[in-house]
Formats: sequence, C-alpha cells, structure tokens
Amino acid sequence: MTLGLAKYQHLAVSFLGRGALRYERLRQEAKLKRKGSWKSERFAPPLSTSPRLKELISLHYLKGRTADERGPVAWVTSGAPVEFLVALGYYVLYPENHGAVCGIRRVSEKISVHAEDAGYSRDLCSYARTDIGAALSGETPVGRLPRPDLLVACTNICQTVLLWYQVLAAHFRVPLVIIDTPFLYGEATERDIDFVRKQIEEAVAVAERVAGRSLSESRLMQVTRRSKEATELWLKVMETGKAKPAPITAFDEFIHMAPIVEMRGEQFTVDYYRAMLQELEARVRQGSGAVLRERKRLIWDNLPIWPRVRWLSEKLADRGVSLVASTYTNAWGELADLVDPEHPLESAAKVYLHPILNRGTGHKLATMEKMVRDYQADGVILHSDRSCKPYSIGQMDQRERLGTAAGVPALLLEADHNDPRSFSEEQAASRLAAFFEVLEA
Amino acid sequence: MAPPNPPLVPRRDEVIRRHRSSGGRLAAVLPIHYSRAVFRAHRMLPVEVWGPPGIDTSPGDAHLQSYTCGIVRSSLAFVLSGGLDVADIIVVPHGCDSLQGLGSVLLDFAKPRQPVATLYVPRGPRSASVVFLAEELRALSRRLSEISGIEPTLDELRQAIAREESADRALADLLDARPHLPFADADFYRVARAREYLPAEDFEPLARAMLAERVAAKRPGIPVVLSGLVPEPMNFLGAVADAGGVIVGDDLACLGRRRYAPGRSDDPWKHLAESLLDAPPDSTRGSSTADRLAWIEKLATDSGAKAVVFYLVKFCEPELFYLPQLRQGLEERGLKSVVIETDIAESLSHQAVTRLEALLESVS
Repeated sequence: MTLGLAKYQHLAVSFLGRGALRYERLRQEAKLKRKGSWKSERFAPPLSTSPRLKELISLHYLKGRTADERGPVAWVTSGAPVEFLVALGYYVLYPENHGAVCGIRRVSEKISVHAEDAGYSRDLCSYARTDIGAALSGETPVGRLPRPDLLVACTNICQTVLLWYQVLAAHFRVPLVIIDTPFLYGEATERDIDFVRKQIEEAVAVAERVAGRSLSESRLMQVTRRSKEATELWLKVMETGKAKPAPITAFDEFIHMAPIVEMRGEQFTVDYYRAMLQELEARVRQGSGAVLRERKRLIWDNLPIWPRVRWLSEKLADRGVSLVASTYTNAWGELADLVDPEHPLESAAKVYLHPILNRGTGHKLATMEKMVRDYQADGVILHSDRSCKPYSIGQMDQRERLGTAAGVPALLLEADHNDPRSFSEEQAASRLAAFFEVLEA
Repeated sequence: MAPPNPPLVPRRDEVIRRHRSSGGRLAAVLPIHYSRAVFRAHRMLPVEVWGPPGIDTSPGDAHLQSYTCGIVRSSLAFVLSGGLDVADIIVVPHGCDSLQGLGSVLLDFAKPRQPVATLYVPRGPRSASVVFLAEELRALSRRLSEISGIEPTLDELRQAIAREESADRALADLLDARPHLPFADADFYRVARAREYLPAEDFEPLARAMLAERVAAKRPGIPVVLSGLVPEPMNFLGAVADAGGVIVGDDLACLGRRRYAPGRSDDPWKHLAESLLDAPPDSTRGSSTADRLAWIEKLATDSGAKAVVFYLVKFCEPELFYLPQLRQGLEERGLKSVVIETDIAESLSHQAVTRLEALLESVS
C-alpha cells in the first residue's frame, strides 16, 4: 500500500468511521430511551452503556484495519502482560477475542474450515482454528486484521497458545515472545515470580527493538494505573451481581468484558466501566434484575459457548434462572489488588502468574465454592469445553465435590467454546431441563 | 545369514521386584522430560509410565473427560486400580495441559496413597530457564529426600550424572546406528525403551551388546523416520515391517527427543537443566516449527529415510499443532509423510495399517 493510500484510509477510519460509529451509538441510545421500545418478557432492557460498548469494539477493529500501516502491531494472548505494549504504542490484537467475535457472529465454523483444510485437526482448540483459518484466508467479520510485527504468547492460560503462536510465527515470519508462567499446583514461589519477571523484562527489550522506540517508565506507570483502575471497576461491576435480583448476568459480562481483555490500560476503558458501574448500582437501588422474575441463581464455569450465548441465556431466563457470576469473567477482575502501578514490571510478574487457569484444580473448586456463597447461588453449570482442556480437566471432580461436600447442585454441560459442531441443542436442552428439576426440587 | 538374537531384556516387573528386594525405592514417573540422575542419587529407581497401553481406562472415567489424551487417562486408571502401588512416589513432569491436569487432579482429588510431586520444565529458549529448572530439580530432590531419607552430596549427584550420561551416550549410539543394526524394529525398540525402567548400569551393556552386532550394510526395506509420542500398541512396529518398511530414524517423544547430551556447567544442577533444555526439538518444550523441521529432515538425511510416519496418540494437541507445517516442509524437501492417530488403550486399527501401506507403496 502506498503512503498516500494509507493516509487516505487512516483519515477515512479516523473521521468517517468514527463519525458513523458515533452516530450509530447515539441512535441506539435514543432508541433505548424511548418508552415502550423494549418488549422482552424475559430480560430487563439492555444497559444504556451497551451502545457505547458496541462503539468501542467496532472502533477497535476499525482502527485495526489500517493499524499495520501506521505503527507497530502485536498479537497477544488474552492473559499476556499487555501494559508495556500499550505504553510502547502498539496496536494490540487479541486473536481469542477475534475468535469470540467470529463465534458470536456464527462464522467461526466457516473460518475454522480453512485451517482444517490446511491440516489442522478438529481436536485442536477452536479459537486457534478460527484464528489460523483467518490468518490463512484473510476472512474475518471485522473487515481486516492487521498483520503483526510481534507475537506475544503467555502460557498462563494454557500451553495451547504457545503451540498456536508457533504456527503464527512461522506463518507471518515475525518474532515470537514466549512468557512462560510455571503452573501453580500450590502457591507461587519466589523463583516462579523471579522467572516471570526476567521474562517480562526480556519481552520489553524485544518489543522496544521491534517498535524502534524505548519504553517510558512514566508512561508504563500511567498505563498500569489505568489498567488497575479498570480492573477494579470491572470487579465491582461483576460484584453487583451479588444483589438480589442480580442487575447483570454472566451472559452480559461475556459481552461487556471485551474492553477489560483487549483495551486494558486505556482511559476510555476506565470511563466505560465507571459509567457501567453507576448504571448497575442504580439498578440495584431500584431492585431491577437483568432477568425478569429471577427465581434461581447459578454460577458458570469455563468459557462461554459463544455461538449459543443467546440461545442459552433465553433458555435459562425462560425458567427464571439468572447466571449471576462466572469464574471466567471473574478472572479479569480478581487480581486487581496485585497490580502495583509504582512497580509495574515487578507486580506484572505476580499478576500474570495467578490467573485461575494457571492454578490447580483445587483452587478452582475453592473459587467456585466462594462464588456460590458470595453470590448466594443455587447451583453451578460447568461447561465441559472440548476445546479448553486446562479449564475442563478437573471439572468432573469439582462437580462431584460441589454436590457432595458443599451440597450445591452442579451440571456438567458438554460443548465447545467456538465450534458449534460440538454442541447439540437438543442434548443440552434435555440436560438443562433435568437440572432445573433438581434445582426446583 | 540369519539375524543375530537380540539381547535378552529384563521385564519391567522383574526389574522392579529385584530393585525392591534389594531395599531400593521406586518412583513412578510420567512423561516426558526429567533427570534420572536426581532419582538415582537418592538410590531411587525411576520407572516411566506411558499409559500403560491396553489397560481398562474406566477407573479414571469418573475424573477425566473422554477428550483427554489416552496416556493421561490410562495413567490415572492405572494409579486408581493399584497399578502403581509399588511406587514410593509419583512424579508428574509438566509436559502439556493434559499432564498438568493429571498432576493437579492427583494432588487435589484422586489422591493416591503415595505422595505426588511435579516438575515444571520451562518452555522457550532463554538463559533464565536454566536457573529456573536447576532450582526445580533441587526442589524435586528435597521432596525425594523426604521419602528416601537421603540428602545426596554433590559428589554423589555427579556420580549419578556420570552413570546416566554414559547410558545416554549408549542410547544415542543405538539411535545413530539403527540403519545398520540387523534387528527387527520390535526387538530394537524393546531394548531402546528399556531405558524407561532399567538402571543406567544395566541398560548400557544391553545397548552395547546390540551395537556390537552392527553391520556395514543397511537393513533392507523402505526406510522411514518415526515421529510422534510412543510406539504403542507395539504391534504397530510389526505392521511397519509387514508393509515393507524399516524404521531408520527416531523422533519419538519417548526416545529420540530424549537424546540428552551432557550439560556444560560445573554446577551439577545447572548441568542437568542444560542437558534437558538442550535436548532435540520437541513439541512439549514449545520448540519452533523451523527447529523441528530441520531436526526431522536431518534425521531423514542421515539415515537415508524416504518418508516420515507421525504416529500420534489421539487428542495430543502439542503434536497436532505442528503437523501441517512440518508435513508441508517435508513435502517441499521430497519427503512424504502420513499421520496415524491411535488410542493406546485400543488395538491398532485396519485404517491405520492401510494408511501406512499406502505411504510405503507411494515411496517404494
């Protein structure tokens, strides 16, 4: 692409695109304000911040279309330390989030087939297949994904990302930084923390070299401060779900978590969650629940079933069941206390070692039990996710312990987070119906 | 001339019984990378658990989903059905998400009668990995001390390292000499894989005895490199022979990817860490596709192989991710390949045999 064309596209994105998205947001906000415009018998009206979310996400991908013409681009895993990349001016793309977008828009299967045709097995993670399929074919529902200059994979969510990013590194022929976080079967040791800290420092050096600029300490502290603030607000947003009725469900959180995952460290993310929290607190004061006639409250474990989020949310709401929290969305809030903006790299080592997915099966059970107590939940749905072994292995024991030791009914629901071919609506409906009977007994 | 008789390999249970009766302790170790010398310095025999194949996996079905790799499911079933009762400790190195899950389930839920220890082998090449892994090995040693009652001196550790390195050299020599060793693949693998449970000092004479039969001529047949995890069920090797193939190069996780060269440092812990981290490229250590491709290509070139067989355990993500790029790279270098997936708890399928035959016919 010539410089002139790039500039033209950039201008188009900056002004025309932004303008169009803002217009659409205002239109949606006005629609939400109109009395009688919301007719659902299951759910409360969407949050008034929802159009803003759509604008944020759309703008993020709109910027991405030409990001590789304007500055450095990094593709990173969802659990990777991102603050130093933001501080260095990288446009950061999260292939997992892009995978989720494909899942929600029901194109993940179609895009995955490109990867499968190239020889990638259907037994591989469906996010990875979606992403590799998009890289091979250029197909995406967001217009275009920018080519990466740098890949950053952090193993704190799984080993899969390391293998997946090796594929991307070979495909794009760009540097891959691996931040290897030792799995915590128990508590983290000093050597675990030290090992991760050294790797983050090495990653910064590589990112500086690729970006052709040095990391400003004050800028990193500012980004980390925003990251911490947004994480704290996100945690508070989720905690409003403790109210009865819950003003927000985990299904809403699955959608509203996008900024905390892919836009950490930005001021607009802080502003967005602050506004969202205010609105939710108002709903709590008004006693307004996200699910109309909330009768039962459940916790969700594991990733969402992206292509069936709506189907599942309606199925539950039909029975007055509100999904009040999830271990998955909680993972982006529960570590807020560990973030220290005064010592950004040191604290990052601790923070990024401790996501729930990097901790043992017993810790996850304890987290679920605590959530059941804190959110006064009546049961747990454990999504046995064919595509996510680190999250799913251990669930059979966790379900059993929840039932026997804690007396909490728990359902193991077989599916896949992004591949609709591994989900049977009929089977799920019948498992859920049986579970509802147990809950109501 | 008739092929020589292969050396007699002591059976696993026989070795365990003998070691036990001499007062030795036993560690059951899951795949893939760990340092045998650390165990031997504690007068403990590490015996590896790759499944085992062909067992009833149902005892583990209450703990693991059906989409978990067969090695992990079989291993858990074996633990729960008392198959590892003879061991004083179970050690689970971190090889992949499924082994990680197994270690965690054993520690938190299944809780076998013996203690469970874990070992994190770092991914990605970097200097900090050596220091980290050296510390991990020290921590494992401290854990073993609780059971063995022994705190090995550095000299004792060095002696154990020397014995293991000598056995490792013998294994590497065996692998290099494979095209010229006039033994059936099943016999070769029986000897080479005895490294999984024999003490180094017992393994080395076996390997040397086999090496003494080396001949100038290469074995007749269609030469192939075998990649993947583990050659189980073992009748797969017979199927290769029946189809006219001979295995001349090995890139299996249980064997060729554990050709450990001695470390460089004087400090024995760092020395051990370097040895593990410098092993041939491997999916479970996150090696780059380019490194793995170059390694397999070298194996093929050195041994004169015409094709590569990827023999996988179903649901093995680490292996599956590499396949398309590896196969394409091999194809570009004139090497055909086939992927055969199997469940170690089941017998070899007709489909697998047919795929193998088709590959060998295409390169004969």
